[in-house]
Amino acid sequence: MHEMRVKVCLVFLGKFGDVAPAGLAEVVLPGDVHTLSDLKQWVARQQPLLGEAMAATRTRLIVNQCIAHDLSQPVADGDEIAFLPPMSGG
Amino acid sequence: MDVRIVSQAFDPQAEIAAFATGREDAGALVSFVGTCRASNSGAAVEELRIDHYPGFTEKEIMRLAEEISRRFNCPDLLVVHRVGAIRPGEAIVLVAALSTHRSDAFEVVRILMDYLKTDAPLWKKETGPGGARWIEPRAEDYARRLQAEEETR
Repeated sequence: MHEMRVKVCLVFLGKFGDVAPAGLAEVVLPGDVHTLSDLKQWVARQQPLLGEAMAATRTRLIVNQCIAHDLSQPVADGDEIAFLPPMSGG
Repeated sequence: MDVRIVSQAFDPQAEIAAFATGREDAGALVSFVGTCRASNSGAAVEELRIDHYPGFTEKEIMRLAEEISRRFNCPDLLVVHRVGAIRPGEAIVLVAALSTHRSDAFEVVRILMDYLKTDAPLWKKETGPGGARWIEPRAEDYARRLQAEEETR
């Protein structure tokens, strides 16, 4: 079966931005990445430093500017997905 | 309700004056200004850098401000948060509230600050002679946030 080509924009904030390679800003995902959980694991494989940074802290995912509460949410073509480490405002 | 993210230095006193001008209906004005310190935990700070996620950061701070202002009957809130490179002595955040009586304005400013520390999509990085490090909320910040949540319930 012909797989749909899923292209997404990835945004890495705070400390994740320090270790995210520029090549991950806009990516065409392999056919086995269907959900946010798959995406997180795929990103960690692309850049082990990023994988370590995400594993060491709480990571929140934001899809098209809305907080993702469930990592089984599917990833769709054209999505903008942001990876957020713990916040520190004020 | 006025929430703004700014990338240049701002004058908190001018912002507060503009916010309160002509508001004879309000009997109380409370404001808090957080500034960049020259040292943190004994280490010198040369520069503070705050990252944000354009669009989402504004939206989330607006959501928090609206939620808290509703609970405290304090509809007029001003939030100005700086992003980008900040020097010691410069203002980082201004929260101001207008209300009929003082107690609502005091509470709303304190509780919104407690929320901003842990829930505003902003990330702080401090640079000093020893290099740069990302700042995460302290246990104390999470504890205050939890207490604030209980108080607004």
